[in-house]
Amino acid sequence: MKKNLEVVGKSVIRVDGFSKVTGKATYSQDLTMDNMLWGKTLRSTKPHANIKLNLTKAEVIPGVVRILTYKDVPHNHHGVVFKDHEVLSSGRVRSIGTPIAFVVAETEKIAVEAMKAIEVEYQELEAVFDPVEAMKEDAPKVHENGNLLYHYKLRLGDVDAAFKECAVIVENQYKTSMVDHAFLQPEAGIAYLEEDMVVVCAATQYPHFDQLEIAEALEVPTEKVKVLNPAVGGAFGGREDITMQIHLALASKLTGRPVKTVYSREESFVAHSKRHPMIMSYKTGADKNGKLIAMEAKIVGDTGAYASWAINVLRKAGVHATGPYEIPNVKVDSYAVYTNNPFAGAMRGFGATQTPIGHEQQMDMLAEKLNMNPLEIRFLNALKKGSKTATGQILEESFPLKECLEVLEKAFKKDAKGVE
Amino acid sequence: MKTINVKINGENYTREINEDMRLLDFIRDELKLYGTKEGCGEGECGACTVIMDGVTVNSCMVMAFQANNKEILTIEGMEDEKGLHPIQQAFLDEGAVQCGFCIPGMVLSAKALLDKNPKPSRKEIKEGISGNLCRCTGYNKIVDSIEKASQYLEGEDQ
Ligand code: FES
Ligand code: FES
Repeated sequence: MKKNLEVVGKSVIRVDGFSKVTGKATYSQDLTMDNMLWGKTLRSTKPHANIKLNLTKAEVIPGVVRILTYKDVPHNHHGVVFKDHEVLSSGRVRSIGTPIAFVVAETEKIAVEAMKAIEVEYQELEAVFDPVEAMKEDAPKVHENGNLLYHYKLRLGDVDAAFKECAVIVENQYKTSMVDHAFLQPEAGIAYLEEDMVVVCAATQYPHFDQLEIAEALEVPTEKVKVLNPAVGGAFGGREDITMQIHLALASKLTGRPVKTVYSREESFVAHSKRHPMIMSYKTGADKNGKLIAMEAKIVGDTGAYASWAINVLRKAGVHATGPYEIPNVKVDSYAVYTNNPFAGAMRGFGATQTPIGHEQQMDMLAEKLNMNPLEIRFLNALKKGSKTATGQILEESFPLKECLEVLEKAFKKDAKGVE
Repeated sequence: MKTINVKINGENYTREINEDMRLLDFIRDELKLYGTKEGCGEGECGACTVIMDGVTVNSCMVMAFQANNKEILTIEGMEDEKGLHPIQQAFLDEGAVQCGFCIPGMVLSAKALLDKNPKPSRKEIKEGISGNLCRCTGYNKIVDSIEKASQYLEGEDQ
């Protein structure tokens, strides 16, 4: 029976399109309330240090209502998987940008002035910025349990034996860099009380997680926390971790008034996660016809000072390390490592974006060595419907890689003609 | 304090302002026109674009007192009694809007371009919006919609 579909196959106008082309969509920057206070976050300017705070000068500034420190946070931890972030630092900062205090004042200007008047005494500690260095026994420890957060192992067949059979082997190291989402709307939010319920409006990807984390930090039942998500100005993974939500909720609860904060672009850069930089060592071998026989990869991902989604991201990088190719012998080790860099987390592709830098250049170099067309070697090894991946997954649904490559091939030919 | 007279979206405003107030804050905080956005505060992103005396400016880089005796158009002034401006309609029809944070600025840059050059080439469109960053769309659909807007406007003239 053929159903009349109202949406599938049709081009529909998006529901929030009208409000966005007219400038009427409300982002959290655009929210204001009567009797509202302003919050500003004091953040660490050192990558690794023990700190001491002196609030005396800041507290006496007229218009300062309250300065929150770790002592005000009932449960001073949060994090999407591991609770390794502190809401406000209790004495040790592990990266630049770690929140130390949250100043609440009558105006934004006063809040900034007071934030600058807080004296922070930094006793600097040795820091580590290279994840490979951080894996060594004697490296400075970012967290008490050591810097190695996660190790993912993938083993298929016998790579050592298989490399002996290869006609060509290509071995290289690839590095990707830290990337910021740079969503266009910097973080902003407002919190207020509805009787004994605290309401937080902030651009977030996880209102339900935020609710849990706020409730945990404040030690209140989840039904006493409401999270509202107004229009979100881009996210791309960068709004998965908590930034200001707990600060705002706590400030509003302790002052009884609405509290708003807006990050500058600069603060936004240090406040949210980054794409994991990865160091990828690849060894790939093929027979004389270009058929892949063996691949070995070691991937080290720098998660910076906090775990965020590191284990999920580095697992995904490991699973996708072969690229979309069928290889009978595979050995992959991927690691997530703490350093004193800004923390890394979710960003579009979630670990699957970095590895193509490695596996695709390996393919090009193998083709070059074998004097083959780079497309041909890909056609020859492409996974297809029914193939088994290195992790043992049978691809039962469609896998139209060949069709994609054919489109590319046509485009390349057309391009080449254009040059003539 | 300083007194300024500004015409915004056809209406005259006289206000006492602090010398250090940016035009962006004047529009948002004084006049409560929140359609103009702040993405960077340093002239890089174009989210705060408004049209001042016929030319686009980044309102985060203009002081409010510099707008004295000027005429300004913000996104709130694009619609008229007939409804959406053809540029806004084209953005909707082409699906050029995602998170929307860049869109008010984009629409105004498109307007400034089409006012001067009613039939721009794709290259000219790209130049016209080169001061406006969009992190969501990849720009193609925005360029498509400005092309479409040019057709809508031509149709209107006939
Ligand atoms: S906010 Fe003015 S250019 Fe970005
Ligand atoms: S639609 Fe999100 S920045 Fe352009």
